[in-house]
Amino acid sequence: MAATQSIPRKIWQTLGAIKTGVVLLILVVIISAAGTIILQRPATDADEMQRAYSPSVLRLLDAVGLTDVFHAWWFVLLLSLVSLSIIAASLQRFPNAWRYFSRPYKSTDESFRNALPNHALIPIKDEERALSVAERVFHKAGLGPEHIVRHNSFSLFGERNRFSELAVYIVHASLLLIFLGGIVDALYGWRAFVTLNRGQQSSQVQTQNGAKRDLGFAIRCDGAGQENYADGTPKRWWSDLVVLENGQRILRKQIAVNDPLVYRGIRFYQASYGKTGKIDKLVLIATPRDGATPKDITIGPDETVPLDPDTTVRLAEFIPDYVVRDGQIYSRSSEVENPAAHLVVESRKAHRAVNFWLPAIPGFEENASSTYTFEGKDLQMAYFTGLEVSHEPGQWSVWAGVLVMGFGLAVVFYLVHVRVWAAPVRDARGQLMLWIGGTANKNKDAFALRFRELVAEIEAELKVSSKAGAETPVTSLTGK
Amino acid sequence: MARVARAEPQPAATGTSLVVMVGLGIAFLLFMAFLNVVKSGNLLNDSNLLYAALIFYSGAGTLYLGFGVTGTPSYVRFASLATWAGLLANTGAVAHRWYAAGHAPFASIYEMLLMFVWTLAALTLIAEKKYGVKIIGTVTMPVAIVGVVLMQLLRTEVHPLVPALQSTWLHVHVTLAMLAYAACALSFALAMMFLIQDKMRTETFLAATSLFSIATYLGILTRFEKWGGLSVVAWDPERKSEMFVAKGVRLFVVIPDLGWLMLLVLAAVAAPLALYLVWRKTGEENLIDIANRAVFVSILLQVLVLIFFLLRARDGRYGSLDADGLFSTSLAASPFILSGLVGGVFVSLLYLLLLWRRQDLERMLPSAEELDRITYKTIAIAFPLLTLMIAAGAYWANRTWGSYWSWDPKETWAAITWLVYAGYLHMRVTRGWRGRRAAYFAILGFAVVMFTFFGVTYLLPGLHAYA
Repeated sequence: MAATQSIPRKIWQTLGAIKTGVVLLILVVIISAAGTIILQRPATDADEMQRAYSPSVLRLLDAVGLTDVFHAWWFVLLLSLVSLSIIAASLQRFPNAWRYFSRPYKSTDESFRNALPNHALIPIKDEERALSVAERVFHKAGLGPEHIVRHNSFSLFGERNRFSELAVYIVHASLLLIFLGGIVDALYGWRAFVTLNRGQQSSQVQTQNGAKRDLGFAIRCDGAGQENYADGTPKRWWSDLVVLENGQRILRKQIAVNDPLVYRGIRFYQASYGKTGKIDKLVLIATPRDGATPKDITIGPDETVPLDPDTTVRLAEFIPDYVVRDGQIYSRSSEVENPAAHLVVESRKAHRAVNFWLPAIPGFEENASSTYTFEGKDLQMAYFTGLEVSHEPGQWSVWAGVLVMGFGLAVVFYLVHVRVWAAPVRDARGQLMLWIGGTANKNKDAFALRFRELVAEIEAELKVSSKAGAETPVTSLTGK
Repeated sequence: MARVARAEPQPAATGTSLVVMVGLGIAFLLFMAFLNVVKSGNLLNDSNLLYAALIFYSGAGTLYLGFGVTGTPSYVRFASLATWAGLLANTGAVAHRWYAAGHAPFASIYEMLLMFVWTLAALTLIAEKKYGVKIIGTVTMPVAIVGVVLMQLLRTEVHPLVPALQSTWLHVHVTLAMLAYAACALSFALAMMFLIQDKMRTETFLAATSLFSIATYLGILTRFEKWGGLSVVAWDPERKSEMFVAKGVRLFVVIPDLGWLMLLVLAAVAAPLALYLVWRKTGEENLIDIANRAVFVSILLQVLVLIFFLLRARDGRYGSLDADGLFSTSLAASPFILSGLVGGVFVSLLYLLLLWRRQDLERMLPSAEELDRITYKTIAIAFPLLTLMIAAGAYWANRTWGSYWSWDPKETWAAITWLVYAGYLHMRVTRGWRGRRAAYFAILGFAVVMFTFFGVTYLLPGLHAYA
């Protein structure tokens, strides 16, 4: 029975041991370093992986999971073990720290007095007056002294920042909060991508593994753009986004890089921006053949614009970079290098549609028979906006953890738990002395100086208040 | 040549004469610079201010070194005055840069170096005034000088910020990083001083120096050596930027012969370590003498390879394995190689200082216990800064890409740095590690910091886009 009980106990003890923690941390360090040296799968594309490693090595790396270290099950297991180790170590040490915290050592017996690194003895005549002087000085130093009454003695105990003893557990707890957030995000978080043209809306996004995911609402892009510096490098990308739910407009925001839109915990980031190769607006000068005044028209793809009561024009096609080959018109690229527009001029009376090409492409154009001639004036290409979509329900736990850790570390490193004691004692010769002792849990050299100042202050005050003091006080100080 | 290594330097000039010489030197350089400025009619720009900072830091470095060698107290007074003046000019350069760029100067490696040097000078003054570690300037000022010289070589144009970098959080992140790294550098210097005071044998420092140089040259050679040449990133002098074959893939050009030369230097810097190891086995005292001479020879070779690299990288056009035609390169394209070479020379020089002046150093440094305590204190400053630096970086990444942690190599190594220092703190607090072991830990921590800062960007595959 005892043996079976001791196995979980042993495991628990081993988990909490500092050695286990160190071994685990060294493993984490080695494995994560390996993960930065070996090319990783999602970030590096398959071709490059094959170029970098021989097929057999790559197979081996893939099999072990070294090509995606940070998502391998054994790495997750390792991090979980680290968490468990932190929990075990904290829980095993916490009771001691809590005892120390909740029941501070206030009285001063002889062995304690001798063991304390900082103490001093000041010869006194009157116990009560000496203690009240010490109390005053402690009080002034912000050490809030209290009276410790034992059956045959009376002494003082003062302290400051006792809380600092527990700070290290706060730091550990904050680390667990961060881990918790990370685990929640690993389980329930997702990342996706969606591309929208101007005016387009979507309620589905594509996740990293290629699956579609329903948002439960729709997102529409009302516009996107790029601003440049004077030297032509991009300064800012932005998109005007609208959140629609059941056709209702819920939210609208202009997002930019570094400034996402958040709705129902789902965040939309400006990730990319580019040309679709399609036209957005074409501005043309339309000149009637009958000699009437020309006018400007603005036309979009597949849009029909009236020119006069009888005639309309439609933008049937726009090719940004055209080339004619084998009697066909092709587009070489989506850059506006060599644009061509295909307009259809319709006359209702004549029931006739004429293909007008700008510029005139022989074999396609019927420009001569059109009642209008057209001339390009300006064009605006359509841009798409690429949105990174992410849902990270655990991030609040992470940020909370970060804040708590910042606080905890500040306390751990900079808040000093100071304790002081004062008690009347008799030395070996029977002389009445005021014993003063003190200790600090960090920055001990600075405290040693501070302690000397405190003692000197008490001594000075004692001298002032006993102006009749005939004997010269012989103060002994032991520092450090 | 090897004789020189054994020769004791002349007894240093007396207290006043060095101060007067350095003062005259500073005055002369400032006067010359002033003439230049009058001619160009543009007094306050960051390169002039940086030049002034360089002059003052050099003066301070000389005086600190003078103090290190002779122990004349008045040197330190004037050295810290010069450091103050340099810091002032440096602050001006930062402010001007900030004003001219319209954003806090953290975007390029040039601007980060500007901040790093500033922090280092400030921390030197703090360490000196608050903790009385007067000799610290002997180590930090040369580093600052190297930093300023590097900056002169790197590009100085104000580059507009790409959209992802326009974030207050990024500025917070980089500021914290520079502060944390400077504190780590300081803890490293203090740990080294502790080892001197802790009577670590000079021979061990010899081995460490050799090991550092071997690591540096191995790092450079494994990453950049190609068929006996040195493969460096091509540089577009028109656009003042690195050249790319495709998005994110840099174009490398090969400087011929430099690879062989570096292999030779690798052998030279490895020789002292080999001799040391044989000495450990056989105990032949003679070997250490030879090793010390080998260090001296290796310094000459290192300087040679540095000059060779400087000359060849500055002009000339070289072929590439990835593209046809000849391309030029620039020192600005290879900050890792440059800092590696300069660092190697500097570390070897420090070893020689230790070899020749160990007794004086021991007399002037604070006691071992004190150094141990101050090392801990600087790490107690560095660790929270590291934590906040990582947190600010994560927050920025979250606002920009929608993910606070993506195991990018830079992130991973920042986490490793954090873990190493966390290990140091745990060992110190729970296991009571003091002295040697703690000092080794502090040194390891700084080595990881340096790798995170330089190595991840220039040595690992899959580059962190923003250095």
